Amino acid sequence: MAAKVIVLSGYGLNCEEETLHAFNHVGIDGNIIHINELIENPKALDEYQILAIPGGFSYGDDTGSGNAFAQKMKLALWDDLKKFVERDTLTIGICNGCQILVNLGLAPALNNYGERDVAVTYNATARYQCRWVDLKIESKSPWLKDIETLHIPVAHGEGRFMMEENALSKLKNNGQIAAQYINTNGTLANGEFPANPNGSINDIAAMTDKSGRVLAIMPHPERGMFTWQRDDYHELKDAAQRAGVELPEESEGIQIFKNAVKYFA
Amino acid sequence: MHYRTEILAHKDDGRAHHIEKILHDMDIRASAWVVDVYSSESAAAAKDIFTKSLANPITQKINETPADFDWALEIGFLAGVTDNVGHTTSELLELATGSAVECYSSRLYLIKGDAKLSDIEQLSAIISNKLIQRISIKSHEQYERDGGMDKIIPKVGLENKNITTDNVDLDISDDELKDLSKYGIANKDGSKRGPLGLPLPYLKAIQSYFKSEGREATDIEIETLAQTWSEHCKHTIFASPIDDIAKGLYKGYIQRATKEIRKSRGENDICVSVFSDNAGGIIFDEDHLITDKVETHNSPSALDPFGGAITGIVGVNRDCIGFGMGAKPVVNRYGFCLADPRSKPNYFRDKSCTDALLPPSNIMNGVIAGVEAGGNCSGIPTPSGFVYFDDRFAGKPLVFVGTIGLIPRVINGKAGHEKCAQAGDKIIVAGGRVGADGIHGATFSSVALDEGSPATAVQIGDPITQKKMSDAIIKEIRDFGWYSAITDNGAGGLSSSVGEMAEGSGGFHLELEKVPLKYAGLSPWEIWISESQERMTFAVPPENTDKMIGLFAKRGVEATVIGTYTDSGRAKISWNDEIIMDLDMDFLHDGNPETPLSTTFTRGGEVEPDIAEPDSYENILTAMLGRLNICSKEFIATQYDHNVQGSAVLAPLQGKGRVYGEVSVTRPLLTSPKGVVLSQGLFPRYSDIDTKAMAAAGLDMAVRNAVAAGVDFNQLALLDNFCWCSSDEPERLGQLKRAVEVIYELAVKYQTPFISGKDSMFNDFKGYNENGEAIKISAPPTLLVSSIGIMTNVENSISIAPKAAGDSVYLLGATKDELGASEYYDELGHLGNNVPETDAHQNLRLYKLYARASRDRLISSAMAVGYGGLGVTLAKKTIAGGFGLDIDLSGFDLRSDKMLFSESTGRIVATVSPQNKKAFEKNFKGFEECHYIGSVAYSKNLFIRSVLKVGVKVLDEAYKATLRDY
Repeated sequence: MAAKVIVLSGYGLNCEEETLHAFNHVGIDGNIIHINELIENPKALDEYQILAIPGGFSYGDDTGSGNAFAQKMKLALWDDLKKFVERDTLTIGICNGCQILVNLGLAPALNNYGERDVAVTYNATARYQCRWVDLKIESKSPWLKDIETLHIPVAHGEGRFMMEENALSKLKNNGQIAAQYINTNGTLANGEFPANPNGSINDIAAMTDKSGRVLAIMPHPERGMFTWQRDDYHELKDAAQRAGVELPEESEGIQIFKNAVKYFA
Repeated sequence: MHYRTEILAHKDDGRAHHIEKILHDMDIRASAWVVDVYSSESAAAAKDIFTKSLANPITQKINETPADFDWALEIGFLAGVTDNVGHTTSELLELATGSAVECYSSRLYLIKGDAKLSDIEQLSAIISNKLIQRISIKSHEQYERDGGMDKIIPKVGLENKNITTDNVDLDISDDELKDLSKYGIANKDGSKRGPLGLPLPYLKAIQSYFKSEGREATDIEIETLAQTWSEHCKHTIFASPIDDIAKGLYKGYIQRATKEIRKSRGENDICVSVFSDNAGGIIFDEDHLITDKVETHNSPSALDPFGGAITGIVGVNRDCIGFGMGAKPVVNRYGFCLADPRSKPNYFRDKSCTDALLPPSNIMNGVIAGVEAGGNCSGIPTPSGFVYFDDRFAGKPLVFVGTIGLIPRVINGKAGHEKCAQAGDKIIVAGGRVGADGIHGATFSSVALDEGSPATAVQIGDPITQKKMSDAIIKEIRDFGWYSAITDNGAGGLSSSVGEMAEGSGGFHLELEKVPLKYAGLSPWEIWISESQERMTFAVPPENTDKMIGLFAKRGVEATVIGTYTDSGRAKISWNDEIIMDLDMDFLHDGNPETPLSTTFTRGGEVEPDIAEPDSYENILTAMLGRLNICSKEFIATQYDHNVQGSAVLAPLQGKGRVYGEVSVTRPLLTSPKGVVLSQGLFPRYSDIDTKAMAAAGLDMAVRNAVAAGVDFNQLALLDNFCWCSSDEPERLGQLKRAVEVIYELAVKYQTPFISGKDSMFNDFKGYNENGEAIKISAPPTLLVSSIGIMTNVENSISIAPKAAGDSVYLLGATKDELGASEYYDELGHLGNNVPETDAHQNLRLYKLYARASRDRLISSAMAVGYGGLGVTLAKKTIAGGFGLDIDLSGFDLRSDKMLFSESTGRIVATVSPQNKKAFEKNFKGFEECHYIGSVAYSKNLFIRSVLKVGVKVLDEAYKATLRDY
C-alpha cells in the first residue's frame, strides 16, 4: 500500500499547501486536514503513514511559538498521536511544526514521548530572520538518508534550540542531532550570526526522536525543493545558459520528501 | 479575585538582550530579565494545568522572581485595546480548564544596573506607546513593599445603560452646522463625539433632506452620512469638477486612460475587473486572475505606528479576500515614507508642549514591526517594498501596504470576479467582534492631524483571527457557492460594507442588536461605524446560512446573521425592534452635492546652481551610497518572510552582495512557470520643482523596474496612490491636476492601464514647535505608482547582479543635465531647477526593444537607473555581483558628476555575455541610445576611467553602514 500523508492546517499554520505539494511531487498522496477535523475524528490517523506539521504562526506564537497549538493537541489528541508515532510511521515538523513537536515532547523525547526536554525560543537577535542557510547532516533518520548538506532557507523569530548540558550530551550520544548550521566553507557556524541565524546551541537546526522517524526541523526544505526557489537561482540559470545545459528542476530540499518514498518502498 | 501568572524567561533571552542594547545606547550598563505576565479573574487561572501550559520548563520558570534587580517596568494594554496574546491565553484557559473567562497579557522587565527613574521612563517611552499601553514602574524597594507589581485587569468598564439613539437637531445656523462637523454630535454630558468632517454644503444637503422627510435626524443617520460621504470613502477631490474638467480628475483622466487602453487593445486587453471592486484584477493565465490593491494607512500610523501598520496590512489582505468571490492573498507589498530615524525633531500636538509627536525612529521601528507581524503571521510572502526618507514625513508618515491575490476565473460555473447581493439574502458578518476601536477612522483620515485627533481611531490588527477566517473562506466556503457576495469591513465598518453591498439588491434592513460585541456598552451608532478589524460581510441566500455558520464554527470563526438585503430602496436599521435609521438609498449614496474645485499652479525650484566639480569622486560616490534613500534596507528585508508559499523567484536581496532590489518576481502557482512581477516608483522631492516631473518619473520608474526584470511588456498594469497635502488649497490642487494629467498621457502612451487606486489627501500635521509656536508640516505631494505584470516563464527573469567577468556593460537610454531635486543636489544642499523630464516616446521605443531581448534571454543582468543616477547604479551592480566594472564614459558630453548623478528617466544598465553580444546589439540596431560603456572586470574595483576607482569592499561598506544598527 502506498504511503499517504496528513498535512495539518488551522489556527495560523500556513505552509500546508507547499508542504503537500512537496509530497505530491515525489509521488505521495495526501490530504490537508484541519486540526479541528482531526480532533473530531482522530481515527483518521490510522489511515495514514506520514504526519506533517507544516510551518506557520499557530496562535500567533503567543505564549511561545508552537506552545498553544501543542497544548491543544496534547489535551485533545494525545493518545492517538502517541499511538501514531509508535507505529512504523514518519512524522515531520517544519519550522512552526518543529516548535510544536518539541512542545509536544515528540522530539527529541530523550526518555519518553510527551516530555519536553528542549526549548525552541527567541532568536538571539530578538528578530525574525528570513534567509538561506547551509546545513550539515549527520543522522540515521530515514528522513535524511544519504544527505550530507542542505542549502535551504529559514524563516522564524524563535528558532533557537536551548537545553541543559546533559540533554545536549544525550542528544549527541544518541545521534539525535539531525542538522547543524555551517559556514559556506563547511565548518560549523559556531553560534555566529548569520550562518547560525538564531544562536541555537551547538548550531542545532534539526533533531529527531530516538527512532529517527520523527524529525523536527527549523529550516524549510519545501521552500528549497526547486531550483527556481533558490537564492542563487539567477546565477545558476545564467551559468547553465552559458554552458548550454538544462538546469535541473529539483533542488536539495526535495531529497527529504524522496526519502519518505524510499522508507515505505 | 485577580489571578496573575508570571513566567520568567532564562537570562540569555533574546528579548532581554534587546532591552540591554537600548539601555546600552543610553550609556547605561544594565542587565534585564523578561517576564511574561498573564492575568485573569478566573480562579481556574491558578490551576497547575493552566499555568504549566504557559511555560517551557527548560527555559522558563513559573511565578519565580529573581531577587537581584533595581527596577521593575511593566507594560500592558489599556482597556479595550486588542490583546492578541491575551486572546490566545483565554483559549488555552478554556481548553485546559473549561473556564471561559478572559485573560490579559502584559510584560514585565526586571532591570539591574545603574539606571535612574528617568532612564527607565525613557526606556519605556522607546518600547511602548502610552496611547494604547499602560506603564507601571517600581523600584526594587517599592516592589518589595507592595509585594510585587499591582494586579491589574484591563477590562472595559462600560455600562449597558439603556442605550438607544439620540436625535440631532439640524434646524440650526450655518456656524452651528460647522461646529457640529468639527467637534461632532454632543453627548448628554456636553462632551463631543469627534469630528464628522462634513463640509458645509454637505451639511446643508442633509439639513434639507430631513426637512423634506419631516422629522429630526438620529445620531446614527448623521454618522452614517458622514462615513459614506467622507473624503476617505467618496474621494470627492478626485470626483468633483475641477477647473474646466467637468468629469473630475478620476473619470476625466485616470479611469479614461484605462478605458482608452482597453478599447485600443481590443482582444489583447488584460483587464477584467478595474476600479469597481476592492482590488483590480487582470488576466494571469487561462484559469486565473491576478488582483492587486495598494492602500495607505497614514494617520493611524502617526499615532500608533505598530498598530497602524499591522491594521493596514491585514486590512489590505481583506481587500484581496473581498475581491470578486474571494481571492487568495499571494504576495504583500509595503512602502514607508519617513523622516530620518536619526533625527530628533521637537514637535507637539499642543501649545503647552506636553504632547510630543513620536520620534522618527519609533515611527520607523513601529511601522516595520507592524507589517512584519501582520504579513508573517498571515503566511503571505512580503518580497517587495521600499523606504523613502524626507524630514517632512515627521508629522505624518506615509504607510503603503498592498496585497496581490489569485482567483479562479470561474468558480462554481460563474465568473469568479462578479458578485451581487440579492433581495432576500441574509447579511452575515464573520470574524472578529465589534468594540470601540477604530471609531471615526474614516472621517479622521480625511482631516489633518492635530490635538483633537481621537485615540480611538487606532486599532491593532489580529492576524490569527483573520487567518482562520481567511482560510475558511478562500480554501473552503468560497468553492461551495454558498454566498452571493462578499466584501470586507474596512473604513466605516458595517456602514460601508453593508451600505455598498446593498447597492446590488437595492436596500437593506439591519438588526443592529444582533452584531456580536467585544463588550457591553456600545451605542448603536458606534457599533455601526466601528472599524474593529478582521470582519467580512456576506450576502447569503437563507437556505445556506446554517451550513455556512456551521462550517465557520468548526474552523473557530464566529459568524452571525445580522439582517436582510432588500429591494425597498431604503437603508434601514432597527435596534431591538425600534427603527433608528431609515434613509433613502439614493440619497445615502449620491446625495452629496457637487463641489466644483478650482486650481492655480506655480512652478517651484531655484535657479540651477553653479557647483564646482567634486575634489574626490571616490568620496562623493561613497557618500551617495550611504544616503538614506540609496543605502541598504537589508534589515527590513530579512525580517519579512519573503519565501513562504514557496513562491519567491527574485527576492528582495539580490546577488551574493545582497543588494536591496526594487522589483520582485513570484510564482504564485507551484504548478505553473508563470511569474508575477512587482515594482513601484516614487519621487516625492521632485514635487518641490514640478509635480508633473514627480508623477512622470514615478510612473516611468514603476514600469522600467518591471521591464528591466523581464516582464512581458504587454502584460503590465499600474496602481496609483496619491498622498497629497492641504488639498483644500487651490495651489495644491493645481499640483495635483498636473500630476494626474501627465500620468494619463504616460499610461496611454505605454499602454499600461490603471487597475486600482487610492488617495489620501490631507497629509499635514498642524501643531507647535518647542517654543509653542504654531507650525504646519505638509508631506511633499507624493504619487506612488505600483506596477504588476506577468512573465510567461520565470526563466526570463533578470536580476541586477552581473554574472561573469568579461561580459559587456551597456547603458540604455539618454542621460541629460537633469539634476534638479536629485539625490546629488540634495547631498550638496541644493534643490536646483532641471528636474528630469520624461520622454515617453523615446522610453517606449527602448522598453519594446528591451522586452524582445529579455524574452530571447540575451541579458545577463540589468538594473533600472534610479535615485543617485548612473554612478549609484554601477556601484550597486558592483556590490551585488562582487565583480568589478571597467567603465569608460568619456564619450558622453556631460561633466563627470552630472553624468554619474543625473536622474534622467528611461535608463537601464545591462550586462551581456560574450555569446549574446552580437544578438543583443542587433536587437537594438537603429536605437541611438544603446551605449556600450565597458565590461565586467576581473578585478574587484569599480573603475570609471579618468574619474574614480573604488574597491567592492569600500562600496559595500558605504552602502550597508548607514542603517546597519537598526
